[in-house]
This record gives sequence, structure tokens and C-alpha cells, in this order.
Amino acid sequence: MYSTEFLTDQSIDIQEVEAALDPIEADGSYRDSRQCAALALLDAKTQLLLSPPTPRPKKG
Amino acid sequence: MERSGTSTPLADAVQGLTLELVSALRSGGPFRLAGSVTGADGPDTTDGPGLAAVRVVGADAVLPSVLRRTSPDPDDLAVFSRAVHAYPPAENASPASVWSHWAMQRTLLRLGASFDGTSRHEAEPRATWLDDAPWQSLTHQLAVLAPLATPGADCAVARVARGRPVDVARGFVRAVRRRDWLQAAGAGRWLVLLDGVPETLGLLTGLEFVAQMGGDDPRVALQVEAARLMRAGVLV
Repeated sequence: MYSTEFLTDQSIDIQEVEAALDPIEADGSYRDSRQCAALALLDAKTQLLLSPPTPRPKKG
Repeated sequence: MERSGTSTPLADAVQGLTLELVSALRSGGPFRLAGSVTGADGPDTTDGPGLAAVRVVGADAVLPSVLRRTSPDPDDLAVFSRAVHAYPPAENASPASVWSHWAMQRTLLRLGASFDGTSRHEAEPRATWLDDAPWQSLTHQLAVLAPLATPGADCAVARVARGRPVDVARGFVRAVRRRDWLQAAGAGRWLVLLDGVPETLGLLTGLEFVAQMGGDDPRVALQVEAARLMRAGVLV
């Protein structure tokens, strides 16, 4: 590690920098059907991977 | 992911610096790092948030020069080097921090700058924490380390990415569907450099969608622009 005494005023705490460098993955919110459809319209080739998942059959 | 409303001096400085980088990449115009983050009295007066922002943006802080294969202005290199010195990885730093710092040092050397007047450069860190990472975690980590995704980059992280193109593609799709535009953009940037990416992914269309949905965030726009330029193989 290096001495940083000669450097400028460090008003930003090193821990804040470290946190910014290693962000946790935030909770996701899955897109609704309309947005998926809009994306699918952009390119038919993308439908397989970017379309909504096939609904699972209901139990019972 | 939608942007949070949290604003801090560091976050604001990162946004500002990134916005200028995006503008330079899109326009092909000049980019002056020193002019973006230094005070009125020159590069030696770089303010805390501005210097910290350079460290957070990492090697991408000089991305226009890297992609154009030109040398930055000496003042820009001075600011970049100061950020490397000011914010070394802390004790028990995350692999992402260690790798980001290493990438900045490597970039300094590649741009022809001596590091602190010497050729000192930390040895390449290990990437063992990625070897067995599930594809979701792998994609998250690669997106965080997107500044490592540059043409011709060869390091342990890049080698892991090259060995798992389908996993990164899956991660890209997952990020899009989770609205995590920043992760999607970072993963997309890696994907343009990888062989073996499924054509059914529709990467270019996906990147366009990410830009459309998340492009208001300059951090997203930066990754998308980098991906576009590297995909096109065009010197900006």
C-alpha cells in the first residue's frame, strides 16, 4: 500500500469508495409482459431469450 | 434496475465524470480528464469527490484514449495517477476493488506513463473467486469489472469470461429482465469481446434496448457506448 499523505484533501472516505467499487446486486424487478412484448418487436430473433417465461401449469 | 434517488458528493461526481466520457465517446471529440475533475488552480487541486470519482470509474476514466489508441494529455495522466495513489485497495478490500486498482495501474503503463516515477506495478491478482461462481454472480462481478473489458485485454478475469460466454449471455438476459440496466450494459460490453456467444441472444438488439431503457443513467450509457464502439471495431 502507498502513502497518501502528500495527496489532496480526501473528503471522500475510503470506505465509501470501496463500497462504490463493490456494489451489491440490487433486488430486481422483472419486466411486465408489455415491455417484454415491446422488446420482442424490436427483433424477432430475440424472442426466444427475451420473451416472458412460459407460464407454469397450475397445480390441481 | 431503476436508479435510486440517493445522491452523495461521490455519486454526483461519478455521474458527472461519466456523462463527460459518454459525450466524448459519442462525439469523437476531445476529452480532458483534468478539466473534468480538477479545481480552478490546476490538476494539483483536484477535489476529493472528483478524485474519488476517477478511482470509482477506474480505467474507464481514460477510455477515450484507450479506444483511440492515443496518449492522454500529461495533466490527465497526472490526475489518473493521483487517483491510483490516493485510493489504493484497503485492507481486506474486495476482489473488485483490487482488480479495479490493478487495471488502472496497467492502463497507466499502457498509456506510456510511469507509475509514480517507477515501473512498479502490482502483480496480477488472482481470479479464483470467479472460477466457481454461479452464472448470476459471475455476470454481476463481470459487470462491476466492465472497465477490464477492452480490446486485446488479457488477464485472469478476461480469461474466465472467455471460458463462459453462454453463462455471461444468460446473465445478460437475466439482467435485462430484472431491469438491471447497469449490469446488462456491463455484461453486454463483455459479450461483444467474447467468442461463442449464442446468436439467438440478439446482443445488438438487446444493447439497444438497454440503452433505450437505461440510457438516462450515464453509467449505463458509458457501457453501451463502449460496447458499440468495440463491436464496430472503430477508432473513435
